[in-house]
Amino acid sequence: MTHPGGRRSAGRSPIGRGVFAIEEEELLLPDPIALDTSFVVEALIATQPLHAVCNPFLMRIFESGISVVTSELLRVELAEAAFAIALKERWAGQWRRHRTDGRSRPRAGRLLDHTLMRYDKMFGSLTHISITLGDIATIATTFMTNYGIASYDAAHAASAIVAGAEAIVTTDTGFALLPSSLLPIYTDRSRLASCRSKRPR
Amino acid sequence: MRSVATKQTNGRPERLSPERLAELTHPPVYKTLEERRAALKQATEGFRVKVRVTPDMYGRR
Repeated sequence: MTHPGGRRSAGRSPIGRGVFAIEEEELLLPDPIALDTSFVVEALIATQPLHAVCNPFLMRIFESGISVVTSELLRVELAEAAFAIALKERWAGQWRRHRTDGRSRPRAGRLLDHTLMRYDKMFGSLTHISITLGDIATIATTFMTNYGIASYDAAHAASAIVAGAEAIVTTDTGFALLPSSLLPIYTDRSRLASCRSKRPR
Repeated sequence: MRSVATKQTNGRPERLSPERLAELTHPPVYKTLEERRAALKQATEGFRVKVRVTPDMYGRR
């Protein structure tokens, strides 16, 4: 296989271990490419610490004209994040204890509308392959039992693979629990070492 | 037509069928490239919140 990173086959690279930095201009983009929620959050929200890295990479994906793959879980996770933002803005470090406090809900509702409007604009500008949970449930649970990957990560990884994506863009190092031969990882430079150290030998 | 991917080939799950992938594929809703570029910019610029969004806020560890 010609690796999308433009280097040796992902499964044979002892150094790279199928993990590549999205800051590298020469990084090749496979078509389609999968996007994880962690990357989308950074790309969408301007106050996130990796927005300056993830937003340009998203623009690069757009300009290249390739298709993007996501799990339908993405939209639910973004909604959950919007709700949690409202809680955290009001309660700071105690936000988890106040989930049922109705005073945060008006702000949560506005943030949710705002987030989903941006989600619709973002994916409305791209060719978007949205994989349902029903399509990947069996594979995701196999990944969990075979590799110890967390359930949400397993769902996103399985969605990428069944759609034929040869890389997933993420800032979540948990995807590195999968063998490099299954799914190359595109992440920010600061996570390369952590991802590579987690890859199964 | 529905085709749930469960089989594996050499340890790698099989892709969904082309027919199923076609069902799940949504082309851009904006007609022109400029409209798409503008929509993407609107989606990703100026969304500022007062807290840092951490993975536990969307159900991750």
